[in-house]
Amino acid sequence: MVPVRPEARLDSHVILAALITYPRAIVLGLLQGVSELFPVSSLGHSVILPKLLGWNIHQNDKYFLTFLVATHLATAIVLFLFFWRDWMRILKGIGRSLRDREISDNDPDAKLGWLLVVGTIPAGILGLTLQDSLRKIFASPTSAAIFLTLNGLVLYGAELLRRRAPVTDVEDDARIARTVSWRGSFFVGAAQAIALIPGFSRSGATMGGGLYVGLSHKDAARFAFLLATPIIGAAALLKLPELFGHAGDGVRGQALVAALCSALTAYLAVKFLMRYFETKTLTPFAIYCFVAGLACTIYFVS
Amino acid sequence: MRNDRLLVALAIVVGIVLIAVAIVYWAEPAKSLPGFFPGHQAGSSHHHTKHGIAAFLVGLACFAFAWFRSGPKRASTAT
Repeated sequence: MVPVRPEARLDSHVILAALITYPRAIVLGLLQGVSELFPVSSLGHSVILPKLLGWNIHQNDKYFLTFLVATHLATAIVLFLFFWRDWMRILKGIGRSLRDREISDNDPDAKLGWLLVVGTIPAGILGLTLQDSLRKIFASPTSAAIFLTLNGLVLYGAELLRRRAPVTDVEDDARIARTVSWRGSFFVGAAQAIALIPGFSRSGATMGGGLYVGLSHKDAARFAFLLATPIIGAAALLKLPELFGHAGDGVRGQALVAALCSALTAYLAVKFLMRYFETKTLTPFAIYCFVAGLACTIYFVS
Repeated sequence: MRNDRLLVALAIVVGIVLIAVAIVYWAEPAKSLPGFFPGHQAGSSHHHTKHGIAAFLVGLACFAFAWFRSGPKRASTAT
């Protein structure tokens, strides 16, 4: 057993600080907040961007994963606070249903709450069991670029396959609870699992799934954000101890700065998207993913 | 009615089994897990905490299902 020299640990701090500098942390934080909620794959972008900019950061490196925990947690907190009133109603609804031992059709908050539970189960199980192995298999920027291209096709496919739901500009959880069946919610939740592969988007998968089960764009986005909150939050909380352990040495300050940047852009992104989807579709995001993914694939393989 | 009771009993049994499985995942390293458990790995001292959490949550879901399924039946309103 050879003890670690204090100066060796100090050296590793210096190296990590050089890899994720504060300006880089700001860029990654700003990017994370936007790309986590826009249907364009945050994981894919966090793999592709460092490679494009020539940064020596690999997405499977322990320190980078630890760094990302803070940005994910910030995004989850912003989502939770943005939908604070809705969450309070939903939690009260779940409590009522447990008390009455019935999920009544006349109680949309309870129905929506349990739909979110049902949707979270497949995503949670697949995430908990497959996340690490899928990340290792598809960690390269080239594969992320290829999957980003495919994400564009998936988003466009979701637009083509969607049922013609009426355009809605009013938030109404009763409408979501009425439209989404238990099976539909499970399907939408399971669709999130595709986002474990860097390049595919979680919010894109859930929005696409929501459109497929008959929701309008606005309702699908709202359902996707509500569904994303416990998953992103729980995943970040599970890894949070690593940020305060040895794995976080050398990146804690940068992670805090990135988390603040991520919180800012996540707030702006959710505010923008909830207005955007009142009238518009996933098609521009599909085009962006297809073009950017294809261009990056050609750049990386040439 | 009989089918309902069977489903409730089944959900409770599966829930208990899954929570027991979760405890095994949390308590035992990968090398000591039974061979048929996902994550069993000879010689590994890694604890599959996440597998345990997954089993625990599905166990809770089974209990929730049994809870609602065994609740008092309310007359549905005719339309």
